[in-house]
Amino acid sequence: MTVAAGIGYTLLALGPSLSLFVAVISRKPFLTLTLLSSTLVWLMSLIALSAVWRAFLPFKTATWWPYSLLILTSVALQEALRLFLWRVNKRMEEMLDAYADRVSKPRLYITDKMQIALAGGMGHGVAHAVFFCISLLTPAFGPATYYVEKCSKIPFFLVSSIMALAFVTIHTFSMVIAFNGYSEGNKKDQYFAPVVHLAAGVFTLINLASGGCVVGIPLLYVMAIVTLVHCGNTVWRRLTDNRSMETNLQ
Amino acid sequence: MEQNRRPKTILETCGEEIIRIVTPVSICMLLVVILVSVLNGGSSLDDGLSFATMATMAYSESSSDSIWDKIKGALLNSLVFVAVVTVATFLLVLLFYLNCTKFLKYYMGFSSLLVLGFMGGEIALFLIKVSNFPIDCFTFAVALYNFTVVGVVAVFISKMAIFVTQAYLVVIGMLVAYWFTLLPEWTTWGLLVAMSLYDLAAVLLPGGPLRLLVELAMARDEDIPALVYEARPVISDAGLGDGVVRRRVWREGRGDLDEDQRLRSDLVSDSSLRTYGESEREINIVDAEEGRALGRDSELAAPLIQHINIRMNSLENAVSGENLALEGIGLGSSGAIKLGLGDFIFYSVLVGRAAMYDFMTVYACYLAVIAGLGITLMLLAFYQKALPALPFSVLLGVLFYLLTRLLLETFVVQCSINLLMF
Repeated sequence: MTVAAGIGYTLLALGPSLSLFVAVISRKPFLTLTLLSSTLVWLMSLIALSAVWRAFLPFKTATWWPYSLLILTSVALQEALRLFLWRVNKRMEEMLDAYADRVSKPRLYITDKMQIALAGGMGHGVAHAVFFCISLLTPAFGPATYYVEKCSKIPFFLVSSIMALAFVTIHTFSMVIAFNGYSEGNKKDQYFAPVVHLAAGVFTLINLASGGCVVGIPLLYVMAIVTLVHCGNTVWRRLTDNRSMETNLQ
Repeated sequence: MEQNRRPKTILETCGEEIIRIVTPVSICMLLVVILVSVLNGGSSLDDGLSFATMATMAYSESSSDSIWDKIKGALLNSLVFVAVVTVATFLLVLLFYLNCTKFLKYYMGFSSLLVLGFMGGEIALFLIKVSNFPIDCFTFAVALYNFTVVGVVAVFISKMAIFVTQAYLVVIGMLVAYWFTLLPEWTTWGLLVAMSLYDLAAVLLPGGPLRLLVELAMARDEDIPALVYEARPVISDAGLGDGVVRRRVWREGRGDLDEDQRLRSDLVSDSSLRTYGESEREINIVDAEEGRALGRDSELAAPLIQHINIRMNSLENAVSGENLALEGIGLGSSGAIKLGLGDFIFYSVLVGRAAMYDFMTVYACYLAVIAGLGITLMLLAFYQKALPALPFSVLLGVLFYLLTRLLLETFVVQCSINLLMF
């Protein structure tokens, strides 16, 4: 894989995140710190999972059930982590509000809270893209490229960066939905993120079959688009409710 | 629009000081990783190069030794290195105690001349060779000379443009860090762990040299002459208009000792300030700004205490130069966070060594180092005294390196090969 192709794969997986970072997150230093900490937390969860599964890998059998167990446990751990992150986030919002009162500045607006959720989700997405896709690119520089037998029409790196893009979207926006759901107490939103995450993980199991990636990856993108649309709707609804509440008060 | 009418929340500025330290640390690490991957690509230097440095005085590692021999050798090397550094730091404390500040400043300039001129020149030659860049030796000599002289002046004189000083400090850190990554592998890791333990002891124990130095500096209310990276202080919106005022306050805070003292006493006694060849208007702005800073009950107001700690970093190479570097974290007189150059160097050595294995370890170690730095900064804000910046970051970094190399890599590769992701 040449260096130009490598840069192309990186931009494919991380391009939208980069533009989101430059436009939204880099403007407020606190959001950059949130992004870095949530990337670290996701990495720690990944290390914990690998500590558990290392003894069993690589799988000797070709059946699909050990892989599905792996996916199930990983998704379960990461969703539990999301709950924990919500608690930490709530605590931090309280501390920030107390600090704002002390320096007599306004409390956090709802857009601020959503931006923090966005930065947290993007941390997860960037961690996924970096560890599952980008870190595999650098040892492979050279004139040739690599194909996987189960998906032999396109190079392995291209497949993995396309999947990484879908997962980045899912992680980034499902965090916004989840935090929104927890703060409002909306059950539908609260269950949305784990369900979508699990569905996405299960769809990647389809890739185990020969030629499965032709079916698996479009399904993955369906999940990504569903997440995007639902996030847009939720945010729009919340903001218009907020605005009508403000105009009612005034 | 609604957005413009609403007042800004704290989310706009909260955490800015941390980002102002994290950014140059990240840039230095990135540069070292790029240098390592460009210059060491392919060949491994563990067996070939056995150059005599201070760090490999006791034991020269070769790849044919057993693991146990390598560990013993690395330990021996680290002990020797830490002993040399301790002796050098005590010497520094002695010189500072005897008021030889001028000598120390000249020594600092001399060591940055060596680093920028000789090490920088050597690495530039490697880069030119690798990239086949067409340049003749006269142009190269003139360019290197100019680069070095500006760097030495930036280190010496505190009235240089702050961006130039910061850039040169990052470059010096990068060059020394790259040099350290040329050491054998086990020795490097042993050195990192030994230095962080030494840092912990030297700053926190009552008899530690760095603690003595900090107490001396505090008692005399002086600036320790050493290579320190100072981030620009954060000034909150005073409505006076941006860049100029911000610069002014920083420069006044970091200026000569006498200027500093006089400014503070004048502000307190409310008398007129003397001009040092600067216009009256600028100083009035500073006066107003400082006064506001002191009067305001804000977290961003400057604590008027300086806490710095120091470690001297000795490196013997073929040219037999020595470097004076500073390590540790403290609060500057204008509230800006100061991070010693030794910290930059050792963080970058850790990440550079990780880059020699694989980039997955680089990403993991980067996150670990930044996390350690964040923890140290939070403790700094909490305890308000000089703290060692190495232990948390280096120990977390080493831990994450081992975990990634042994556990994570197989897991991720296996999942990716089967196109399984979550």
